[in-house]
Amino acid sequence: MRRAVRGALALVVAVGAWGCGAGSAETEDGRSERQSRAAPSALTGTEMPAAGAAADFILTDTHGRSYDFLQETRGSVAMLFFGFTNCPDVCPVHMANLAAVLDQLPSRISRQVTVVFVTVDPQRDSPARVREWLDKFDRDFVGLIGDPERVRAIQLDLGLPPAVVQRDDAGDPNIGHAAHVMVFSRERDRRWVYPFGTRQSDWARDIPLLVEAAPPARPEES
Amino acid sequence: MRWWCSAQSIAWDWTWRPYVGVWILIVLMAAGYLLLSRADRTDPDSGANHGRGWLFWLALFLLWAALDWPLGALGGGYLASAHMLHFLLVGLVAPLLLELGLPTSAFARLARRPILLRVLRFLTNPLMALAIFNAVLVITHHPRVVDGWMATQLGSFGIDALWFTAGVVFWWPVVCPVPARPRFPDLARMGYLFGNTIIAGFLALILVFADLPVYGIYELAPPTGWLSSREDQQIAGMLMKVGGALILWTVMSVIFFRWYRRENPESQVAGPPPSHAGVQG
Repeated sequence: MRRAVRGALALVVAVGAWGCGAGSAETEDGRSERQSRAAPSALTGTEMPAAGAAADFILTDTHGRSYDFLQETRGSVAMLFFGFTNCPDVCPVHMANLAAVLDQLPSRISRQVTVVFVTVDPQRDSPARVREWLDKFDRDFVGLIGDPERVRAIQLDLGLPPAVVQRDDAGDPNIGHAAHVMVFSRERDRRWVYPFGTRQSDWARDIPLLVEAAPPARPEES
Repeated sequence: MRWWCSAQSIAWDWTWRPYVGVWILIVLMAAGYLLLSRADRTDPDSGANHGRGWLFWLALFLLWAALDWPLGALGGGYLASAHMLHFLLVGLVAPLLLELGLPTSAFARLARRPILLRVLRFLTNPLMALAIFNAVLVITHHPRVVDGWMATQLGSFGIDALWFTAGVVFWWPVVCPVPARPRFPDLARMGYLFGNTIIAGFLALILVFADLPVYGIYELAPPTGWLSSREDQQIAGMLMKVGGALILWTVMSVIFFRWYRRENPESQVAGPPPSHAGVQG
């Protein structure tokens, strides 16, 4: 009996110590607190060369109007994503996570963020279809449609691998595309990429930093 | 073909996918039970009680339903709520029914093995059993464990094995007559069961009220289209809180009414004699 009581207590202490250790040694997104303390404002996204940060291009939005990306989004943090509405995994996850976080952030933050979705499957993604799909996440998300060659050129200009369309035996397109969200600073002098796997906790931490003042670049790791 | 359910980065569809390891496990457990029952039938002194055999088969069915497609697959990498239902079935319901459905002779055999009995006495001491179950509960619901282990078939199998084993240990002092626990009466057993609702309730509240998804594996899973990741997590928390409490309070009620009838024999209506379950104390 005593041995069992001692064993039970030891187990409780061990699990408690493990829980406390797991909680304090690393934050939920896997980065150590030591690293966070050393660079408290470092972002989850990877900063890209400043060239291309202007991202000056014009496409058509879901209402059929011309949309000048640079002019329309200057002054807000722009989040640009290339995808397609039939995408079964990456695209809806990115859109859902961004929508969920923007919905929870204070409006003074969220209203300074513009999410722009550019379809890489214009054959199937009509403006109405893109609008309907985006509305499931957030009615403020902007949908853009353009000529495939033009969209391809924009992706190359931004340093993103262009989408690749292959057709299966039934003639249905299988589309491979970059899974990154590209984020542009309000002043259009800096940009970052956030890969697939970026979690809501990452966005919830980074978006206010991006909106209020983009933090200094993370120092090069030695 | 996969042998155990785990997270996969492919879109969910309703194509049937059996898990070989699950079927092998179920067949082995069924074969073990049949062998045990057969041995009992050929031994007239075994005192076998097969009246509750259906509970064993129900346990086996629920175990299969939890581990195999579709629930196993959905819980393995698409929905936290399915994962929680999976936990309730594998970690709480199936072990309880399985122990209730075991023939009395199985316990009589255990009683004849002193070393095994000593190990059982240690592991299923109520305090130890409570600590083991709750330690497994906390560890296997920690985000780093869920996100890390559910990504592989071996890790997912490990979580299921831990849940089932912890469930067997947890229910043992409540329903199994061996080893005898004269100092663990009905009221203490009710307190033991109630004690088990505390940590689970706390974990459930975290899931229900967290602003952000706790588990990356479900947040980043290909969407099923039915629930947002937050709704899914809230349902998971509610299942843990309400589902877990329902199971425990049901058993507590049964123990309470048995205790009440025993304490108040004048109010007892003639009924069947008590079986091996809940006879200790």
